[in-house]
Amino acid sequence: MNVLVLSGYGINCENETLHAFEVVGFKGKIVHINDLIQNPKQLDNYQVFAIPGGFSYGDDTGSGNAMAKKILTNLYDQLIDFSLKDKLIIGICNGCQILINLGLVPSLNKKDPEVAMIENKSGSYECRWVDVKVNNNKSPWLKNISILNLPVAHQEGQFMIPINLLKSIKANNLIGLQYINNHKKLAKGQFPFNPNGSKDDIAALTNQNGNVLAMMPHPERAFYHYHVPNWQNSTSKKFGDGYKIFMNAKKFFA
Amino acid sequence: MTNTIQILSIEKTGKESSLQKEHNNKSIKIIDGYFFSRNLDDQKFTKISKLISNDVSQTILTKKNVNKVLSSYCNFNWVVEIKFLPGVTDNIATTVKEIIKDNLKSSFKSFELGSTKIILIKGRKEDITKISKNEANPLIQTIKIYPFKQYLNNFKKNQFKIEKVKLPKKKYSKKEINLDISDYNLSLIGKLGIEENDKSRRGTLGLDLESLKTIRNYFSTIKRKPTDVEIETLAQTWSEHCKHKIFSAKIDDIQEGIFKKYIKGATEKIIQLRKDNFCVSLFTDNAGGIEFNKDWIICHKVETHNTPSALDPFGGAITGIVGVNRDCLGFGKGAKPIANTYAYYLADPNKKYQLYRQKNKDPMLPANFIAKGIISGVRVGGNCSGIPTPQGNVYFDDRFAGKPLVFCGTVGIIPKKIKGKLSHKKKANPGDIILMAGGRVGKDGIHGATFSSEELDPNSPVSAVQIGDPITQKKMSDVIIRELRDENLYSSITDNGAGGLSSSIGEMAKESGGFIVNLEKVPLKYNGLYPWEIWVSESQERMTLAVPPANVKKVINRFNARGVEATIIGKFIKKEKAIVKYNKTEILNLDMEFLHEGYPKLNLKTSFPKIKKEKKKIIKKSSLIDKLHKLLSSPNIVSKEFIATQYDHEVQATSIIKPLQGEGRVFGNATAIKPLFDDEKSIALSQAAYPQYAETNPYDMAGCSIDTAYKNLIVSGANSKKIAILDNFCWCSSDEPDRLYQLKEAAKACYDYAVAYQTPFISGKDSMFNDFKGFDKTGKSVKISIPPTLLISSIGVVDKISHLTKMTPDDDDILLVLGNTRNELQDSVYSKIIGYEKAKNPVVNSKDALRTYRNFEKANKLGIINSAIGIDLGGIGIAVTKMAIASKKGLTIDLKLKNKISVDQFLFSETQSRILVSIKKNKLANYKKIFKGSDYTIIGKCTGSDVVEFKDNKKIIRGKISDFAKSYKQNIKGL
Repeated sequence: MNVLVLSGYGINCENETLHAFEVVGFKGKIVHINDLIQNPKQLDNYQVFAIPGGFSYGDDTGSGNAMAKKILTNLYDQLIDFSLKDKLIIGICNGCQILINLGLVPSLNKKDPEVAMIENKSGSYECRWVDVKVNNNKSPWLKNISILNLPVAHQEGQFMIPINLLKSIKANNLIGLQYINNHKKLAKGQFPFNPNGSKDDIAALTNQNGNVLAMMPHPERAFYHYHVPNWQNSTSKKFGDGYKIFMNAKKFFA
Repeated sequence: MTNTIQILSIEKTGKESSLQKEHNNKSIKIIDGYFFSRNLDDQKFTKISKLISNDVSQTILTKKNVNKVLSSYCNFNWVVEIKFLPGVTDNIATTVKEIIKDNLKSSFKSFELGSTKIILIKGRKEDITKISKNEANPLIQTIKIYPFKQYLNNFKKNQFKIEKVKLPKKKYSKKEINLDISDYNLSLIGKLGIEENDKSRRGTLGLDLESLKTIRNYFSTIKRKPTDVEIETLAQTWSEHCKHKIFSAKIDDIQEGIFKKYIKGATEKIIQLRKDNFCVSLFTDNAGGIEFNKDWIICHKVETHNTPSALDPFGGAITGIVGVNRDCLGFGKGAKPIANTYAYYLADPNKKYQLYRQKNKDPMLPANFIAKGIISGVRVGGNCSGIPTPQGNVYFDDRFAGKPLVFCGTVGIIPKKIKGKLSHKKKANPGDIILMAGGRVGKDGIHGATFSSEELDPNSPVSAVQIGDPITQKKMSDVIIRELRDENLYSSITDNGAGGLSSSIGEMAKESGGFIVNLEKVPLKYNGLYPWEIWVSESQERMTLAVPPANVKKVINRFNARGVEATIIGKFIKKEKAIVKYNKTEILNLDMEFLHEGYPKLNLKTSFPKIKKEKKKIIKKSSLIDKLHKLLSSPNIVSKEFIATQYDHEVQATSIIKPLQGEGRVFGNATAIKPLFDDEKSIALSQAAYPQYAETNPYDMAGCSIDTAYKNLIVSGANSKKIAILDNFCWCSSDEPDRLYQLKEAAKACYDYAVAYQTPFISGKDSMFNDFKGFDKTGKSVKISIPPTLLISSIGVVDKISHLTKMTPDDDDILLVLGNTRNELQDSVYSKIIGYEKAKNPVVNSKDALRTYRNFEKANKLGIINSAIGIDLGGIGIAVTKMAIASKKGLTIDLKLKNKISVDQFLFSETQSRILVSIKKNKLANYKKIFKGSDYTIIGKCTGSDVVEFKDNKKIIRGKISDFAKSYKQNIKGL
């Protein structure tokens, strides 16, 4: 089980993302995008491709756009290939924005991109903890999870989806995670439960196979129990909720 | 054919809605524009548009559709076009260029482009002018306002233009400066700069007459005239900013100066007293370092960026934070930045001060523009760099209206040994190549070091402003920390900050002897820079490395492979000479000794100042609950949650004590990160400054700062034997004897308290002239000086996760105040807001304080402390209320136990060295054993209800927690 964690040009969560995969049992490597472009064949050695969070190209021209264009120009076919195999892809935060801009998610009509990530309704950067519920249990990433408490940290986390596409996303059950309020009900756009105003409280989307997951919250930052706010009052002893996502990847290959 | 791509967001963006709210106008739309220096044919236009936009959320405006698309929103009638001035860093344009080059390869090249913000409104011209004032800074941007019709016309006729830097093609010929001139003319060179052939002046050198005379003497001894580059270099190297002349000067009878005697002296004394020295690197490097565990060192540095932030708040602050990040990269062989800290001292954003740098012209930026710009500058700098920013604070006072104080700090981590060699030791060897890596050099920040040492006056140069580019720096930093460092490919490294190459190479060359630099090799942003400009430019995101010749190729290749430029610009030599050439002409040749130590030493005298006491204010009669609400919602106590949530404090997955604490999210005094996955040790961070106490007694002010910064770490659970502190003095009018007296007093307190607490100073920085000299709105000349401000930053190691405390009590917990409460309301928040009482200023008794801290530490390690919060601004009253807000649990406070002082004195006095703690009922006996013989008061308990209640003999006064929370979380007016 090998994971490739992408880095370069302002991606910045690669260390903690790799660490999370390693703890659950993966072997992994952080690979600079320029090295991957030089030698795309190395992708064959990996079962999981992870695009971590960060600020690739400083969000200029829209979060995730510039990096998506770099991948589109140099690595697109290889990545599509990867996604069509029995392998897993995850994009977290900026990685989510990159996958969306590449059109790898939801990838319903193969026209890129189908969805846009736009600025939070509040107009400001939001670094806070949220609760999300799993909507779609068929994605290997999300199996047997119901609710997760995870942090978000982004300026552009609002999913913008044309109405018709949203219908097919729902019909195909591609909404991965949704923000919920303190009564465990959908946040219905209410701040701060839904931190960005995302339509239908969407926090993550998957492709049709479910093997590609694009999520705005950061599971790697909720990996250990002491990551969770006010952990001193909690009874859970070792891991936070983010751990479950990485364990699911492991189980998929086990 | 067109020369512009303009992109519109279909739905209302967050930025648009905040503009609409702010200006009470629903018809505002923002366009992202890109102006090209070349025309694009239709095919290129379509291709490039697709590359830089998203067709789900955005529309591309074209000649054909522009009118129709825009009129579908409303009938706009005014437009403001905001572009960067030529030569100002335009990060978006850089990214767009890179996307185009990567995708179109050679089919579209040699073009320039600039990013533009175009704001459309339906409204009056006054409205658009007001918007432009809030959204643009004329110092770095051009602002064009014109009718909407003209905008459409510009579109049709391709009239959008980018302005390139057009510097005259100047051929450089070596310029010699005659210093054999009158004292008056000599001082003009110092104040206004070197005279050009056309009689214009280059801008202040900040050299006083005595320094210029010293330079004249040196050159008359070596029998030649100095070159312009030599004078510029000496001005940079000898600037107050680089040499800290005031701290090293003889002052009254202190021969060695206050730095050596009081700051460094304290650390030396502590190391001598303690047998367990945990300091690794002190004062000499870019940051100070202490031991973290047996394999790792952590370092910390705090910088100020005050003057640039007054001129361009966003640019000044972002440069401040990414600049101090480089201090970590330049610590030892290069430490990885793992946390940022911030502290802002600002004028009231809700007030209009209307200050002018020149009579009736050249206005200072409005206070709210400055505040917002500073807050967002650090946000963009920190967030984009992937460095968490957990720890900080903001303080407001009218006296910061002329100059805001912007403190930016960074903590770094580095393995003790790299390939068997000590990582904090570095030495450029003779023969090593001088490599400059990172960004290119432009006219940014020319004369930054010299002018930040001066007061802000009409001659402050505007080219002194830089804008940081965190992504360029992140790319460079990744290569250094992840690849080059651990292979030991270079022998020394330092950052390019104040003074640019002249400082960084000058400093590093002390390790080898001297240097030879060929300036024509330095890569430039645009042509037309004079050699002296290249040499002193403060263009950001650059590190200087000393690389053994055998490794140079490998190092350059590694940088290039990651999209980072690296260039050989010279070499280090053994001979103690500083030599600079430009196209083979030698333009600088100085003895290293003269360059670094030749400046005339100051001889300062101090005098006792008139004490400016706070004016007596009648106490307004109001209820206790009312007073609590007033204090909670006052700007210096109110929650700073809005900053904490926009600064990413979770990145790197290290946040363990967060800025917002408890379910009720109270803004904490200290935060902690756990930097290593395989060690449970954490780093606790805090800071404190009390400018409000300074005029009454600067000695006690400094004592309070040290005590609070230290106390906050003790309360968080840090090991008292592993706490180090940093000093940042921001002073005013440091050429006046009474200000120098205050400085000396504060420095003396630094020695006394640091030695008493045995907490060493490991690094520091000072900024001595934070004064504004200008005019008010009536044209009357004014001088506004900041109150003397000493920021003490503290960094400590927490040995175990279980030692980390929380501020939320549980039901039935007993509440205690550790430490004595005295009537020390002088200069307190209470005295400012409620009224002035007869009182003393807070004075720290270090013996009592230490007893409290040691007992607390012991009790905490034994698990006796259930929750704790340091008592500071607003006293016990505010600490109690914050605890209730954080835990959402009611508390009852018994006022009978307050001793001989009044209720208000007891609740709101800012007596130092006190901690509010809660302990489980069944642990009270254990507790009493530990605290036997020390001062503590049981003041109440946690009831778990929804009110905080205060009981005395006669009555019970209650306040609802949810109401307190509302007051505490109020927005700060003007922000």
